Amino acid sequence: MNDAITLKRVNKTFGATKAVSDLDLVVPRGALYGFIGPNGAGKTTTIRMIMSILFPDSGELSVLGHRSALEAKDRIGYLPEERGVYRKMRVGPFLTFMARLKGVPEAEIQPRVRRGLERVDLADTERKHCEDLSKGMQQKIQFIAAIIHHPDLLILDEPFSGLDPVSARSLREMVLEEHARGATILFSTHVMPHAEELCDHVIMINKGRKVLDDPVSAIRRRYDPRVIEFDPLEPGADLSPLSAVPEVESVERTDAGGCKILLRQGSSPSSVIPRLAIAVPPARIEIARPTLEEVFVKLVAA
Amino acid sequence: MMKRILLVAQREFLATVSTKAFIIGLLIMPIVFAALGIIFPRLLNPRNFQTRGEVAVIDPSGHAIADIRTAFSPDRVAERREEQARLILGQAPAVVQQLAGGRSSQVTSAMTTAGILPELRLVERPSTADVQQEKAWLLDQSEPRHLALIVIHDNAVVPTDNTYGSYDTYVPSSADDRALGEIQQALQDGIVNARARLQGVDRSKVESLVRVVRGRSITVTRDSERSTVRGINQMLPMAFVVLMFMGVMTGGQSLMTSTVEEKSNRVMEVLLSALSPMELLAGKILGQLGVSLIALGLYVAMGLALLLSFAMFGLLNPWLILYLGIFFLLAYLTFGSLMVSVGAVVNDMREAQSLMMPLVLLLISPFWVWFPISMNPNSAFSTVVSFIPPVNTFAMLIRLTSTAPPPWWQVWLSIGVGVAGVAGALWFASKVFQIGLLMTGKPPNFATLLRWARQS
Repeated sequence: MNDAITLKRVNKTFGATKAVSDLDLVVPRGALYGFIGPNGAGKTTTIRMIMSILFPDSGELSVLGHRSALEAKDRIGYLPEERGVYRKMRVGPFLTFMARLKGVPEAEIQPRVRRGLERVDLADTERKHCEDLSKGMQQKIQFIAAIIHHPDLLILDEPFSGLDPVSARSLREMVLEEHARGATILFSTHVMPHAEELCDHVIMINKGRKVLDDPVSAIRRRYDPRVIEFDPLEPGADLSPLSAVPEVESVERTDAGGCKILLRQGSSPSSVIPRLAIAVPPARIEIARPTLEEVFVKLVAA
Repeated sequence: MMKRILLVAQREFLATVSTKAFIIGLLIMPIVFAALGIIFPRLLNPRNFQTRGEVAVIDPSGHAIADIRTAFSPDRVAERREEQARLILGQAPAVVQQLAGGRSSQVTSAMTTAGILPELRLVERPSTADVQQEKAWLLDQSEPRHLALIVIHDNAVVPTDNTYGSYDTYVPSSADDRALGEIQQALQDGIVNARARLQGVDRSKVESLVRVVRGRSITVTRDSERSTVRGINQMLPMAFVVLMFMGVMTGGQSLMTSTVEEKSNRVMEVLLSALSPMELLAGKILGQLGVSLIALGLYVAMGLALLLSFAMFGLLNPWLILYLGIFFLLAYLTFGSLMVSVGAVVNDMREAQSLMMPLVLLLISPFWVWFPISMNPNSAFSTVVSFIPPVNTFAMLIRLTSTAPPPWWQVWLSIGVGVAGVAGALWFASKVFQIGLLMTGKPPNFATLLRWARQS
């Protein structure tokens, strides 16, 4: 069993709503997976089933080699979407409490609490009440609580929501640090650039069904719309020779004076690009990469 | 698993007992009871009321007026007060007499002077005065106030056909009962004195002849004997019910509020990443049990200290404390489970109120059944109620502390029923807690909760 998470034909229904439908999912150990989908797609329900907070109506589930996350809770870090802190508790005791619950050896708790707080520039808040911290600060404290026991598997449900760009960047770095330490990471988001920046593999669900499960690079390849961005060397140059290249299907001018060239199905950019450069001398010629967002919108719209 | 339960329990306990609200709440109960027991009666003390005004008397026979005049004199009024105080003390339960100790004279004089003596001025009307005209005087409400018009019957002092007459009292619509009481006492005093004098009888001799003072009463126990403390057997069941009620309420209430807080602070799912719902539930119930025990322990200790200070400790059967512990545990676990279920399914305290209503009715039910049970601890009603959880815990405690305790098999059967009740309540709580924890939106009603429990 080399996979951190395995779901086989998992279903979950709430009343008349089918939240998750025949979901198969595999997250290998050490991977950094993005779990994306629009609001209400079933991401949180799936994560809660992985965490054994909810239980599937049917299907099989395995987490770190166990049939239930309850058997491996000390090895899992979880930052839920619905997250909060004990408002009346001080930051230090809150993190200590969470560390003890997660089975961190007593002698290591205080150093880890201090290191964690220093890492997020909140070293001076240890004695403050949680309710005195801003929402962003509280979110950082929650993240420390999720990783304080150095989990083997880290599940983050919409970790960047509500964070300012600077805090989001700092959190992103910490996620990468955890990954570098060896933790398997699964994080859900509906903000595509986050997934794009962080993940090496993406699983997308929509209306409870999996619609995509591929490495980011493969997704880009597959959803490559055969578009080449072209800026002529001389502004205002005649671009009509480009249409004469046999592999070119259409040329669409852009406001900036350049154009987008759509290649015919099956044509290879590597053989077309030299011919385009001969037809019209270019200042810039580049294969347009589809963003996850474009893929997401395309799949959801479909 | 146990370690996690204990960690939750410890956090729950410390988070509750370290709040100002808890400390104030803990102290406020004894203060409220002290207020009810000491300050309130003082505030309502009728002796703080001063009767002041004029009383007109018409004595057509002229036999009574001299003695009535004396009876209304300030010296005689004070004397009567002191006699009354002494009489009341004589009739009072032994515990009050004990409080007075050897200082009964001081106490009575204190009781007399503490009250404000009435200022009654007697207005003697001619024996031939017209009652109809005198009534007009009564309606004149200028100062000093005209309190009453008294017309002494002709045969009030000298009997006709061996029958003594009395007197008529005319009062304005604003008459005060306390003022009338003072006036009637004075009139009775005066008329009795007049009758005795006319008969050549020494009134004090007659009074001592007809009075039998309550004698000593000794309570005999296996180890010792001591003066009987009247009232303690009536007070004990109520004291135990109040103790248990306060213990259950302290823990149960904070169990509910802490669960509501965890939900509204959205810390619930963070906790569930580290714990199973059952560990969380068990930890919370255990932690708040500690809180309840602190409250109960404090109140029991205060009660015992009170008994010790009056040297009445020997009157309390130590087994009762053990039974209090057992029945408290059963009641706490039952009510606590139900309260934590309510906390788990609502989003804020406002929503909790409507779901709490049936629970609060159940919790105060002991105060309804207290009277019928303590009046007849072994009636069919008392017996049946002793086996219906969760009221059985309170009912059996009332019976145990009563003057006619139930047979032991009933006590232990009731404990057995209580344990079954606890198991049922915990089962219900475990189901509802699990479903309710992450639920948002409109809170369910009790019928829905029962359906959840059955279906899950």
